[in-house]
Amino acid sequence: MHWRNENWLYATYFLTSLLAQFVCEYFFGKKSLPFLQRLRNGIPSVLISSFGLSLLLKTNYWWVAVFAAAVSILSKYILRINGKHIFNPSALGIVAAIVLTGNAWISPGQWGSGAVIMFGVCCLGFIVTTRVQKLDISLAFLGVFAALLFWRQVIYLGWPVDYFVQSISTGSLLLFSFFMITDPKTIPNHIVVRVLWGAAIAAVAFYLTTFKFMNGAPIFVLVLAQPLVPILDRFFKAKKFEWVSPKTYSPEEKKFLQIIYSRSIM
Amino acid sequence: MKTKLSIIGVLIAISPMLFSFCGFYVSKADGTLKNKTSQVILVRDGNKSVITMYNDFKGDTKDFAMVVPVPVVLRKDDIKVVDQSIFQRLNDYSAPRLVEYWDENPCNPVRDEEYRKSAPMASMSDKRADDNGAAKNKMLGVKVEAKYLVGEYDILILSAKESGGLKEWLVANGYKIPAGAQEVLDPYIKSNLKFFVVKVNEKEKQKLNNSFLRPIQISFNSPKFMLPIRLGMANADGDQDLIVYAFTRKGRIESTNYRNVNIVTDKNVPLFVQKNFGSFYGNLFTHQWNKEDKSIAFLEYAWDVSPQNYYHCDPCIATAPSEQDLVQSGVWWLAGKDWNDYSDIDNDEPDNGSKNVHFTRLHFRYNRNSFAQDLMFQVTPNTETFQARYVITHPATGNFNCAAGKKYLQDLRQRRKKELIELTALTGTNIYNWQDDATAKNDEEENASAQYASLLPEVKDELENRESMPVGILLFGAAMLGGAALLRWKGLI
Repeated sequence: MHWRNENWLYATYFLTSLLAQFVCEYFFGKKSLPFLQRLRNGIPSVLISSFGLSLLLKTNYWWVAVFAAAVSILSKYILRINGKHIFNPSALGIVAAIVLTGNAWISPGQWGSGAVIMFGVCCLGFIVTTRVQKLDISLAFLGVFAALLFWRQVIYLGWPVDYFVQSISTGSLLLFSFFMITDPKTIPNHIVVRVLWGAAIAAVAFYLTTFKFMNGAPIFVLVLAQPLVPILDRFFKAKKFEWVSPKTYSPEEKKFLQIIYSRSIM
Repeated sequence: MKTKLSIIGVLIAISPMLFSFCGFYVSKADGTLKNKTSQVILVRDGNKSVITMYNDFKGDTKDFAMVVPVPVVLRKDDIKVVDQSIFQRLNDYSAPRLVEYWDENPCNPVRDEEYRKSAPMASMSDKRADDNGAAKNKMLGVKVEAKYLVGEYDILILSAKESGGLKEWLVANGYKIPAGAQEVLDPYIKSNLKFFVVKVNEKEKQKLNNSFLRPIQISFNSPKFMLPIRLGMANADGDQDLIVYAFTRKGRIESTNYRNVNIVTDKNVPLFVQKNFGSFYGNLFTHQWNKEDKSIAFLEYAWDVSPQNYYHCDPCIATAPSEQDLVQSGVWWLAGKDWNDYSDIDNDEPDNGSKNVHFTRLHFRYNRNSFAQDLMFQVTPNTETFQARYVITHPATGNFNCAAGKKYLQDLRQRRKKELIELTALTGTNIYNWQDDATAKNDEEENASAQYASLLPEVKDELENRESMPVGILLFGAAMLGGAALLRWKGLI
């Protein structure tokens, strides 16, 4: 992949996110677990959201990068309903930076569209989604989006198939499907609702992309659709997702852990 | 090492090529017209676009015809012809440049400065026209939406129901359609695009007494910000170059469906590159294009050229486009409300009165395999400046008998070796390819030990002994795998 000399931007996203996570966890975190453990549990989520920012949001100014990363992480702690945050952190960070600062933009062409990139992102995405995130929603979103594009571009308009392949193998689209929409905390809990929700986002994003020529439509649609999630969850109950499944410890282990944590905190 | 800047640009003759637009020429005779390099000026703000197409048609103007898909039916006011010299000025101004520095003699600090002028390229054009009755149009599903005479051109705006009918109509009206055009016409028709068909009106042409055809400028409102290149591929074999000069109020434009790459810049290259900068840049471009996998948009220049901003480049190789040039190019917001009255068309973004102008120069090299889609663009708030710039450094002259002088000669040798290696890396050529240039006699090469020619053998050895493995990629891969393994081991993924 092509990092160019934008490493400073990526570093800003990661550092700001980690710092914000640290501060937020300290002030707003659930006190039930030891601080360090909470911090550790939060790391995958922070890495994924800074990854999302790095890959999709471009800006010339460090303060815009700090703003986007801070909004991402803060939103996880401040905008919450029923113990779940409402917005996908990186999606909200991206939208806020674009709309509020006017100095940031999404670069859909940044990652090109090649077989290699497609394969890499899919592999990585597959690992992440099967480990900590939801693959079902990725497939629902991507499947519907691709099917609609295929119908429009190849069947209806009559473009050759490589035209369609180029639309669908865009790095940013795959990143969105595997790393952004899949955030387990911001999608409906119930599997059927979740799949339908993903499909609906795909349909709206397809409409905006194809007929309104909007860039980065999936991200904007996602942010607008997320406030619906708590309402959907109210009607369709299901088990809530935990980043790390709570493990039961024997009394000896608990004692040992307590010693460790108390020491390391001091 | 003290260096004293002076400068100048040498212009890049974009290589020996024809210039034409990305629509397609349909020739009446079985001509062998090929598009090779097109130049287009794109002006965009809000939903409004102004597109100016350079016309380099050479030959009998009776054989000229051009078809360009456009999103709306254009009104007569939306079409004009402009002075073709603006393309020359924009190209001269934004082309990749060679910068010269002069070393100071450490034993004898005297400075000399020099200015050199550049030799830009030249181009010409021609055209042609034709007319016809339109009775069976209905049967073919082709509708002539509008018909205008603008400058030396007869212009038709067609809408069609299906590509077969359009093709038949064009053939019946004396146009030759390139093989392969039909597969593209269909999607355009279904996307509800109109066809802007241009021919030369011989009478008007004769009145003008020009030997060339002037560029056509069209303006319209549409959320689509794109250039149709697919049609142009129909009668082109091989790779076609397209230079886009874009002007916006906000910042750079970039491609949204192809990867954007800044062309490699700010590199020190050997002195002899000056003799043939055009071919150096041609080699460099081709090599970088292959290296980056072809499906890309190369950025060659980006700067704020607002009339109130005097500092437009470093160094400048030509006079900055004047406010008048910009207005000619279609930058309507500099011209006030009156200019062809474009502003009465509803515009999504209200005119904010800003007089800013950002200039972006993109260079595409496309072919059917690497470019399946038309070019889509977006305006970004990116105001960072960029220019393609290559640096040559003239050696100091005189006597180097002092201690500092000996040190200087040593450094000079090292620097020149680096320059030679850089040259091969940038252009992807073998060092032997440059042997003639390097060994050619040069007045400034008074120091035998530091001549490029005498350094060649050392550089050859060095290059041959180089590790050919892409070490960086391997390291990066190993780091990724290691990182993943670590995270997995720690139970984080």
